[in-house]
Amino acid sequence: VPLARRYSSEVRTVTLIPGDGIGPEISAAVQKIFAAAEVPLQWESVDVTPVRGPDGMFGIPQAAIDSVNKNKVGLKGPLMTPVGKGHRSLNLALRKEFNLYANVRPCRSLEGYKTLYDDVDVITIRENTEGEYSGIEHEIVDGVVQSIKLITEDASRRVAEFAFQYTKENNRSKVTAVHKANIMRMSDGLFLHCCREVAEKYPDVKFEEKYLDTVCLSMVQDPRQYDVLVMPNLYGDILSDMCAGLVGGLGLTPSGNIGLNGALFESVHGTAPDIAGKDLANPTALLLSAVMMLQYMGLNSHAEKIQKACFETIKESKYRTGDLGGSAKCSEFTNEICRKIAG
Amino acid sequence: VIAIPKAEYGGRHSVTMLPGGGIGPELMNYVREVFRYAGVPVDFEECPIDPQSDGNEDLEYAITSIRRNGVGLKGNIETRSLSRGILSRNVALRNELDLFVNVIRCKSFPGVKSRYQDIDIMLIRQNTEGEYAMLEHESVPGVVESMKIVTAENSERVIRYAFEYAQKHGRKKVTTIHKANIMKLSDGLFLETSKRVAKHFPDIEHDSMIIDNCCMQLVSNPHQFDVMVMTNLYGTIVSNVLCGLIGGAGLISGRNYGDHYAVFEPGTRNTGTAIAGKNIANPVSMLNAAVDMLEHLGHQNHANIILQAIDKTINEDHIHTPDLGGQATSIDVVQSVVKHIQELTKDKNWSLN
Ligand SMILES: Nc1ncnc2c1ncn2[C@@H]1O[C@H](COP(=O)(O)OP(=O)(O)OP(=O)(O)O)[C@@H](O)[C@H]1O
Ligand SMILES: Nc1ncnc2c1ncn2[C@@H]1O[C@H](COP(=O)(O)OP(=O)(O)OP(=O)(O)O)[C@@H](O)[C@H]1O
Ligand SMILES: [Mg+2]
Ligand SMILES: [Mg+2]
Repeated sequence: VPLARRYSSEVRTVTLIPGDGIGPEISAAVQKIFAAAEVPLQWESVDVTPVRGPDGMFGIPQAAIDSVNKNKVGLKGPLMTPVGKGHRSLNLALRKEFNLYANVRPCRSLEGYKTLYDDVDVITIRENTEGEYSGIEHEIVDGVVQSIKLITEDASRRVAEFAFQYTKENNRSKVTAVHKANIMRMSDGLFLHCCREVAEKYPDVKFEEKYLDTVCLSMVQDPRQYDVLVMPNLYGDILSDMCAGLVGGLGLTPSGNIGLNGALFESVHGTAPDIAGKDLANPTALLLSAVMMLQYMGLNSHAEKIQKACFETIKESKYRTGDLGGSAKCSEFTNEICRKIAG
Repeated sequence: VIAIPKAEYGGRHSVTMLPGGGIGPELMNYVREVFRYAGVPVDFEECPIDPQSDGNEDLEYAITSIRRNGVGLKGNIETRSLSRGILSRNVALRNELDLFVNVIRCKSFPGVKSRYQDIDIMLIRQNTEGEYAMLEHESVPGVVESMKIVTAENSERVIRYAFEYAQKHGRKKVTTIHKANIMKLSDGLFLETSKRVAKHFPDIEHDSMIIDNCCMQLVSNPHQFDVMVMTNLYGTIVSNVLCGLIGGAGLISGRNYGDHYAVFEPGTRNTGTAIAGKNIANPVSMLNAAVDMLEHLGHQNHANIILQAIDKTINEDHIHTPDLGGQATSIDVVQSVVKHIQELTKDKNWSLN
């Protein structure tokens, strides 16, 4: 704390939601690595265990909401959504609370870690607030139900704008809009229309339109043809997981949620209750999410240093965790990254 | 589900042919050629559909023809018209004929290089509702609502088809693919229906998987799947991922069934606009669709001969078009198939079955 106070003009505070299951261990690993890299940043750890609100529903504690609202940036471990009535999905609640409208997931093959695909380097950008997740459903008559997919011009334009801006800032070259406007002519048609309009403002960024099914087909055949992909909510959900599958699963892929009131970076894997508390978890996904967070905050040299140490450690294979076929503990993997950063 | 083959005259069947756009017409020519050499007793009634037209006379005519013949062979129909009122003609055709189930057998070709070998997954897809209901409206400017419709009746029919298929063909497991955690009512109905139907098939294992996880599993461990059943949109996703893993859009065929009619087509339903007219499209998916059709009509011998000829061409001779990494033309493939048909039928006392 004294250190932080001395450098108060530079040291920024970010909210940390360690999460459940393996969440606390992998969060601690990230904190340790950040300390080794002397990242000028201070953590404010908050608990998001649901509390009963005035409406009787369980929800996020106000203190956690206040923390993210104040800091504008957060890192989050995996959360367990309790099953049963009266609980809103915490992930969904966080998304709503902070207006997290774009979900960004980079998927990249790791050098030295052999997966079926060693040539993947794509970024999926998913609209995160509407579409098939509108939650509007009815039973029209007995045995006939409808779910409504909601597509708005504002949300579509906002995520398209973000995708092109992101592509430009990260020196990427192409945006692919993924859609199914041959069938959903109006809804996906509107999404596509917004992408086209935004594309005109970015003449340096290549733009193409592809059917969802064509992308599914060609992504597994040759992922090299894709760069940045932008799409409505459900397609993003599906394609981002599929791309993660190409490079070895959710234990390695980071994710960022960009919002109007803040940005939240998270690992997208689950709480892994089977290995929780055993020092066996792989912190890579959360660490790479934290690296995305640093890039978002403009702390690029720290981001670069940490990412390099992480990739090298995985590449060397000596300190790989169990999910990557190794036998190292979470702490051993973490220490090795710290050693590389220091040395 | 078994549609009754109709229009049989002196042992010959009449079948509606919808060439569609893109590579459709050239692929249909290859089917005709192969059928001629194999002595297939099928006459085609060709129904072209003008993609530019706003009118639906062509489509209505084609549907009437399928109603008369009971059976159709189909390429992908383009809908170029930009007017919003014009719906996808492929969807309209399936809905009008109530072709409620789409069946795709995703089986590896041993001679085709691909990321995975020995895949044999049966994909069973609801074909007439869900996200393809095409009920959309703009409630206020800039806000569009699109309905996804799931009915108990159609869910049950397709799920029953899946379990009956599994039982009949000695398959062990049926997996329902859904997103019922988000779409609690619609996908929830589909999932609940499959759990209920599963109870009538105690010998078949039943499980379920969420569509995003399913796609991750498909690319990392596809061999865990056996029979998969799902709503319409997930079907297009899963079939394309699987076909991509096996060797692309040019190999696998798909079948559409209703209670009265059956329509056969390439599994991934591609138009192939970019490769049309270049003599590079892979004819195999359409030939396989034609084989499916012959099996449906009961011409098992002809089907077997053509199937064997395709197998030799692709898996033994490795005559592969560019989509499979080869340099052969479409015509090279067709000529090889024809050559093998001639060899296979040379010594046989070839008779119509
Ligand atoms: N970071 C990680 N490091 C190592 N193994 C992991 C990690 N995350 C998940 N796993 C493994 O992957 C498998 C799936 O776990 P995960 O918790 O993601 O899914 P889940 O069972 O759906 O959990 P939840 O209910 O929390 O979503 C488990 O066997 C777990 O051990
Ligand atoms: N029979 C085939 N042989 C070889 N390649 C094929 C065949 N059918 C489709 N493809 C390829 O598969 C990919 C997807 O085809 P598809 O036609 O669906 O593209 P698309 O994006 O839908 O465009 P369009 O529908 O306008 O042609 C393309 O690269 C196409 O060339
Ligand atoms: Mg998901
Ligand atoms: Mg197509």
